[in-house]
Amino acid sequence: MSNAISINNLRKKLSGQELYAGLSFEAKAGEITAIFGPNGCGKSTLLNILSGVAKNDGGEISIENLQRFSFSYIFQNYRESLLPWRTSFDNIAFPLEIQHKSEAFIRERIQSLGKLFATDFDLHRHPYELSGGQQQAVAFLRALANQPTLLFMDEPFSALDYENSLRMRRSLQEYYAEHKPTILFISHDIEEAVHLASRIVVLSQRPTSVAEVINNDMSYPRTLATLNSEQFHQIKNQVLTAFQKAAKL
Amino acid sequence: MKHKYAIIGPVLLLLIWQIVYSLQLIDPFFLPSPFLTLKTLWDIVTSGAGLIDLAATLKRVVMAFAIAVVIGMPMGLLLGASERVYRSVEFIIDFFRSTPATALFPLFLIIFGVTDESKIAVAAFASALIIVFNTAYGVIHGKKSRILAAKIMGASRLQIFRSIILWESLPQTFIGLRNAVSLSLVVIVVTEMFIGTNQGIGHRIIDAQIKYDIADMYASILLTGIIGYIFNAVFLIAERRFLKWTSK
Repeated sequence: MSNAISINNLRKKLSGQELYAGLSFEAKAGEITAIFGPNGCGKSTLLNILSGVAKNDGGEISIENLQRFSFSYIFQNYRESLLPWRTSFDNIAFPLEIQHKSEAFIRERIQSLGKLFATDFDLHRHPYELSGGQQQAVAFLRALANQPTLLFMDEPFSALDYENSLRMRRSLQEYYAEHKPTILFISHDIEEAVHLASRIVVLSQRPTSVAEVINNDMSYPRTLATLNSEQFHQIKNQVLTAFQKAAKL
Repeated sequence: MKHKYAIIGPVLLLLIWQIVYSLQLIDPFFLPSPFLTLKTLWDIVTSGAGLIDLAATLKRVVMAFAIAVVIGMPMGLLLGASERVYRSVEFIIDFFRSTPATALFPLFLIIFGVTDESKIAVAAFASALIIVFNTAYGVIHGKKSRILAAKIMGASRLQIFRSIILWESLPQTFIGLRNAVSLSLVVIVVTEMFIGTNQGIGHRIIDAQIKYDIADMYASILLTGIIGYIFNAVFLIAERRFLKWTSK
């Protein structure tokens, strides 16, 4: 059961200043929604408020039938959320250990994840022995280990090179096709946002409101050919135009 | 490569010592030659006479340190788990941490009598404070992002404590342990000097001084230094092995 999210007239004060000018939008259950907006418009804070890490100062938020153990959140700072004393394998296993899953179950789950995402490094290495991109991949796999019904990702592919981020997008789509979680993710990359999301929420500058919501109805899986299609370019341009207006470029 | 340079320090020390001795810059009665001192050190160790003292001191240090760990670590973890609780007892910890342990020795003598227990107790007390302080500090100042991540995964408070906070505090705890074992040695050796004991390196040093057996005194001081150095080295090696992830 996936989770629909609704945000209504959200308000938050940061050091005395209004961060949001009554932010409202919805994310549909089982869909991928991208949040795109200028720097400092409170994208990460939005995910933090929705996940209960930060508090809002007004407005309503609701997430439908969310259950314990079925939510994952990949922080922007993946490095500081991995457990450096554990191997990559044990990091990915951690959310399952919390649920007291058996060792065999954990091993099987991680093996299938590793296969799906074709990790090219030894999972028995510690995070400090891995590159930034590999660490980010570990954080990503850890977030999927519990097969969340709701997944927040704050720039999940920022440390990956283009080639690897394309690979990740492909694998994520495969995973999405199978499990259909609700995904809300922040991206700094228009191509990535349009490639993955079925709705792109473009935010304005501070005090932040929703500048425009752009739908992308192209069917999944979206391949490399999709990136070249006319429709893709049109949607990408739409987002870019909305962004340029919102950021007052 | 690094180890090659490590030998330079001791060689340099012995060289300067030999030069000072040869030029008789200090009355040889007060500063015997390094070779005589090293030979004396060799003799007191191989004859067993020094080993008895060494064993007595080591036993006291190990016991004091063990007691300090058993009391200090759980207490530090507990106090650190709630910053409010820690702040409310911070003064007591800081006050006694700032009080030289040896100043408390007469008090411990009254409580425990002129026994081994009083020596061990005062060293354990001083060391436990250091361990409590460092462990609690490690818990309080651990990265919050990892705790947050675990909370989001649905971890219970106990799971967060066991899987995150405990680990997060380890580097600082280790610093505490290393300082605590050094302090245990210091306190034990000092107490051995002044309070009726027949065995112990501290006793041996003061005895040699009273008898004007200066070579023996220097040899015993060297022995104490070597013990302290080994303690420190053991903890550093353990740190490097078990806490590989910290500096990265």
